[in-house]
Amino acid sequence: MNRILLLSLAVLIGLGAGFLAWQSTSDEPPAIETATLLPAPLELPEFSLTDQDGNPADRRFFEGQWDLVFFGFTHCPDICPVTLQTLAAARRQLEENGMRELPRIVLVSVDPERDSPGTLKTYVEYFGDDVAGLTGSEDALRVLTDGLGIFFQRMASDDENYNVDHSAVVLVLNPAGQFTALFSAPHRPSAFVNDLPGIFAL
Amino acid sequence: MKLARLFALLLMAACAPEPGPPLVVSDLEIMAPLPGRSMSAGYLLLENRSDAPINITHIESAEFGRVEMHETVIEDDVARMRRMTSLEVPARDAVRLERGGKHLMLMQPVAETDRIRLDFYAGDSLVLTAVTQLAER
Repeated sequence: MNRILLLSLAVLIGLGAGFLAWQSTSDEPPAIETATLLPAPLELPEFSLTDQDGNPADRRFFEGQWDLVFFGFTHCPDICPVTLQTLAAARRQLEENGMRELPRIVLVSVDPERDSPGTLKTYVEYFGDDVAGLTGSEDALRVLTDGLGIFFQRMASDDENYNVDHSAVVLVLNPAGQFTALFSAPHRPSAFVNDLPGIFAL
Repeated sequence: MKLARLFALLLMAACAPEPGPPLVVSDLEIMAPLPGRSMSAGYLLLENRSDAPINITHIESAEFGRVEMHETVIEDDVARMRRMTSLEVPARDAVRLERGGKHLMLMQPVAETDRIRLDFYAGDSLVLTAVTQLAER
């Protein structure tokens, strides 16, 4: 009697362990819940900007890694640091979850007048190692933003503390440098943590 | 008779609302400016414990040349920041200034200090003084 009980217990434990092993190997990413997928990946326009180190940056800048791209400016006290912190927090969580191919975070400045490459560098480095910045003349910037449907507009001000209204979306660019998905604001780290594995697997 | 009156008075005193400031602040966070920046954002909860609305018209700080009330509004995926010329805290209600919403914008720091004092005014009257340390992000 005791033997039968032990045997059935052993079988049950074995089945349980087997189920857990099967569950952990079937690593289907969770369903995409927040992001909007483009019907087909979109090629970027032929733009010409400068990165935070002063190097020229064209379409090839976005090739070779997944990128999360946000448009903002360093004189923006609320939404820009909040969004960059959200993206950095999401990336830390994805790393803890075991994601090997982590996305780079890119801030494209919509305030070329005040955001020099050096200003951008000090700013983006605060949010983590793999955070880059792009800036350039307003005309050069418009080539990229118009091609991606990104809006920005400098607001009138009576002093140097002007504000820039801007699109608050986060774009996902694949390692071929194509625009594949976007996240609408307001942003939560959990949305990126849930959706990015599925987007990267498409 | 006299004793009963005294007792009634004592009872009334015990039941009367506790005297206290009409406007109370909590969760106050003044963020340290980011590298290379001199401006900063502030977040807090304002609670009006009085029976009348309180309309905050301006904020002064010895540590910043200018403190403004702003609101980030996201419409059709575009973030717009607007200056608020006043902020009403309704009677017996609270207003939260938070990330991605209404917030304080602090500009032109005048002293190298971590201790920040903010004076909230409703017109000419000082309705609240709050003191905090700069918060790291």
